[in-house]
Amino acid sequence: MMRRHRSWRDLGLRAAGLSAALLTLPVQAADPLSTHDAATWLQRMSDAARNVAYEGVFVVQHGSAMQTLSIVNRPFGSTKEGRAERESRLAAMDGAQREVRCTQSGSITRVMEGGQIKLEKRLNSRHFPDLLPPNAAALANWYSVKLGELARVAGLDCRQVEILPKDPYRWGYVLCADKDSGLPLKAMMINEAGLPLMQYAFAEIRIGGSPKVESQSSRDTWRMPAQPASVRPIGIETVSVKNLPPGFSRIAAVKRTLPNRSGRARMSSEVEHWVFSDGLTHISLFLEPATRPIASVRGQSKQGMINMVTRQVGPMQATILGDAPWVAIEAIAMGLEMRPDAGDPR
Amino acid sequence: MTLHALTQQTMQPQAEPEDLQGQTLSALIDGELSDDMAQRSIKQLGQSAGERARIAEYLAIGDALRGLNAQPSDFTRRVMAALENEPVVLAPVPKASNRRPALWLAAATMAAITWGLWQSGPRDDVNVPLAALQQPASQSVEAQPYLAAHQDFAQAVISAPEMHFSKASLEVRQ
Repeated sequence: MMRRHRSWRDLGLRAAGLSAALLTLPVQAADPLSTHDAATWLQRMSDAARNVAYEGVFVVQHGSAMQTLSIVNRPFGSTKEGRAERESRLAAMDGAQREVRCTQSGSITRVMEGGQIKLEKRLNSRHFPDLLPPNAAALANWYSVKLGELARVAGLDCRQVEILPKDPYRWGYVLCADKDSGLPLKAMMINEAGLPLMQYAFAEIRIGGSPKVESQSSRDTWRMPAQPASVRPIGIETVSVKNLPPGFSRIAAVKRTLPNRSGRARMSSEVEHWVFSDGLTHISLFLEPATRPIASVRGQSKQGMINMVTRQVGPMQATILGDAPWVAIEAIAMGLEMRPDAGDPR
Repeated sequence: MTLHALTQQTMQPQAEPEDLQGQTLSALIDGELSDDMAQRSIKQLGQSAGERARIAEYLAIGDALRGLNAQPSDFTRRVMAALENEPVVLAPVPKASNRRPALWLAAATMAAITWGLWQSGPRDDVNVPLAALQQPASQSVEAQPYLAAHQDFAQAVISAPEMHFSKASLEVRQ
């Protein structure tokens, strides 16, 4: 117990040191906020990301890859159509032309492919870069929060906020929240050593005001029929999850087809997709009939941010994948069991 | 935490003494070695003609296990090419019914990467993604569709990151 306690304390210190190095500002190793204050800060930042109107450009860095995106967030929808719904729009400014439009009812991705515009409906309506969930206060159970120094991002003063996991089942975050609105202007996902796994920061941002009016031709393309995401509920569940890491619960369970699946696999590609989350970390479980005996294989993204394992559970192939430390993926993977009363899913 | 301790205890892949070399390679690929250690193992692996021959042999064994008829040199070339392309395919090892060859395959694959590292000269980034093996479609796990599906729920704007498989054997006990 003591040992774990110390190591996470170390992490905090190291994370603090790292942010200091990055922002060339001295950071004192502050004490964690009380659970109540932590919850208040988390909720303030989460609400700001949803309720503040802003537009700007931000840069995402993931390993050696970097992407620049423009974003428009309108908490009360596009004024022209008079909708009260929240709407956000993201457009990749480099690489392939890709745009995502999120509303409360779902999100649509518009991709330019060989001169053709393709629309795709996505399953979830999560608005990037909303990092924190709507009920962010609950995160204070699993993460401790420390306030750091004031810093400056995209020309605005912001307060550094460290969100550090209390156990090894999730990654930590260092945010910089706009001093006035609380909007996170910068976010960095860090591993247990305090090293960045992924980060994004606004390069330019305008908070408040009314956004530019979209051109008519651009509006029209969004009205084209989108390829629907084919989803249906799961019938009888054949697999049970014995132990979930603390704070995780199942937030989705659907039958769906996988995107981008090629060749023969596409024909029989309906899988069960379960999602577990603590509000900040997401882990997916995919279940499908195993077409042949499967050896367990572990996969990992280059920086170790995403971990994955494929194993066989009874007649099923289970793929567990998430932007979470290996122990979290492993715990879920190892806790999978066939339900004793389950028939052959085929 | 109890759970964590438990998983640590029960889920560690079985270490076999004679696979120490493989373990070092595994650690190297996982980026778990210190810079010093990594440098040393890379040096050690590529130092002598004997070592190089052994790596080539590992590659040949890996080829044979995967049922590929290509020459080792061809395989090496493909691994090198794959290293450059950083593709997104996970290649499972054969069913653990005979575990030794699977471990050999793991060692061979890891050696292939180190080979690539060593051949292409010093690099800053030791944690090179383990390259995809060109396998028949029916024998590979494509990570990309799962990642794309996962990203419907997770934070993701940027295209899926490169995946590599690091530990080929995961001990599952029920």
